[in-house]
Amino acid sequence: MKKINILGLITFLVLLLVNLPFLVIIPSSFTAAGYLAFPPEGFSWQWYSMILDRPEFIDSLWTSLKLAAITAVLATFLGTLAAFALSKYKFRGSGVLNALMLSPLTVPSLIIGISALLFFTRIGIAGTFTGLLLAHILISIPYVVRLVLTGLSSFDYTLEKAGYMLGAHPFRVFWDITLPLLRPAIVSGMIFSFLTSFDNVTVSLFLVAPDTTTLPLAIFTYMQETLDPLVASISSVVILLSLVFIILLEKVYGLERLFGLNSQSH
Amino acid sequence: MSKRLSITLLTAPAMIVLLGVFLIPMLLMLMLSFQDENEAFSLKNYALFVQDPFYVEILWRTIRVSLWTVLASLVLGYPVAMYMAQATGKMRGIVTMLILAPHLISVVIRNFGWVVVLGEKGWINESLVALGIIDQPLRLLYNELGVVIGLTDSFIAYMVLALATSMYAIDPSLNKAASILGASRVRTFFTVTLPLSLPGIIAGTTLVFSLSMSAFVTPALMGGTSVKVMPVIAYEQIMATLNWPLGAALAFLLLGSTIVLVTLYTKLIETKRYKEVFAS
Repeated sequence: MKKINILGLITFLVLLLVNLPFLVIIPSSFTAAGYLAFPPEGFSWQWYSMILDRPEFIDSLWTSLKLAAITAVLATFLGTLAAFALSKYKFRGSGVLNALMLSPLTVPSLIIGISALLFFTRIGIAGTFTGLLLAHILISIPYVVRLVLTGLSSFDYTLEKAGYMLGAHPFRVFWDITLPLLRPAIVSGMIFSFLTSFDNVTVSLFLVAPDTTTLPLAIFTYMQETLDPLVASISSVVILLSLVFIILLEKVYGLERLFGLNSQSH
Repeated sequence: MSKRLSITLLTAPAMIVLLGVFLIPMLLMLMLSFQDENEAFSLKNYALFVQDPFYVEILWRTIRVSLWTVLASLVLGYPVAMYMAQATGKMRGIVTMLILAPHLISVVIRNFGWVVVLGEKGWINESLVALGIIDQPLRLLYNELGVVIGLTDSFIAYMVLALATSMYAIDPSLNKAASILGASRVRTFFTVTLPLSLPGIIAGTTLVFSLSMSAFVTPALMGGTSVKVMPVIAYEQIMATLNWPLGAALAFLLLGSTIVLVTLYTKLIETKRYKEVFAS
């Protein structure tokens, strides 16, 4: 029994360390002082109201939300279609195609960012929202493909067949049978894409222009110049927003299953 | 609809994005890395690297920082994964949530939290000074230590995931058998748990190493101007100096050395004995 306690103690300490940044940021955003301090001095909302005076943060928040939302919808759509083809049909080169779809995960973000910048400069979409969006869709597709493929691996195709035999149109079969059964996988692909896009820095770094800066990048840039409680209040807003999506992901799909820790898929 | 047409229609949209944002750009970048100022083919950018001790030192620093990160996340992550494998139901869920959820929140923000904790007027230094343990604040930030702390925090979740996956697969009755045969807990750990978790250790260490090698944000924020690593100088060549061919070459050199090191490491550790046990 004693060993489990030691393990439990170490686990507790590691969990504390991993979550320490948040335990420090949120309280220090309420400081009444003019500088960063933990524990915070006094209590005030001043650093939250100060966000409103900084248009670059408000603008970049909207850019990030818009970008993440469109990325989530498009990446999920493209990824789901591809996963369907990979799962439903056995064809030559399906292994290669599968590997290709997942490959943006294995190449460092740095290289994806640089190469996208080079190519986008040539075709004239560097620094545009479209370019940024395309790159975010690219890095989200692998997650969607993987999630939907997992969902499809336990999918019972006889249900579709039954639909056809009863005379339903293929679209109707898809809409009434296939889609509802895959909904958890598709929805979690969408949430995961949203988070991937919303938090991305390294790829965006190369592709943003001053008017398309995303929120994490605005914080990154600000942090390199000044460290004040304003960063803490903005970060708290991001933490809260991300937390909503993480809880959603946990409810819809389960984090354990999402990260492949749970061997039973249903 | 024919099968071929369906496959094409379903995969084409994603393939177009993959081609246009990934494959073609990567090829272009590779070609660019072999160009000199006059856009002629040249090995200059790569040669510069081998000849200039400045760049060699930066690569070595990148490797060193990554190795420390691997070690730190293995030492801290292993007990967590072991605990997860032993825990049941609700407790396992809570630990999983608390180790994975932070990983889904922006790395910039987590780094910022560490800056607040580790800074000269940070929580740790203020506490240590207040307790009279030290007179001068310790330098925990804007050096390699700071970068290793930040990277370990960023990637420990990957390590725990890899380790836990392999530990969940260990049959608990093996531990029981060992203890029935009179093995102590320590001995059971070294003869049963540790060897059987080797695939997880290999997967976790290679993953964390590769991620640390190419990490940009954490070294930039927690290393400051003095701890430059390969991704940071590649970024500077691209965005500040505008020497795109050199930036591209540096990025590929980084990727290449990561692949070589990881391959050597797995070759070294996946010995004949390992293959006998895990081949199937």
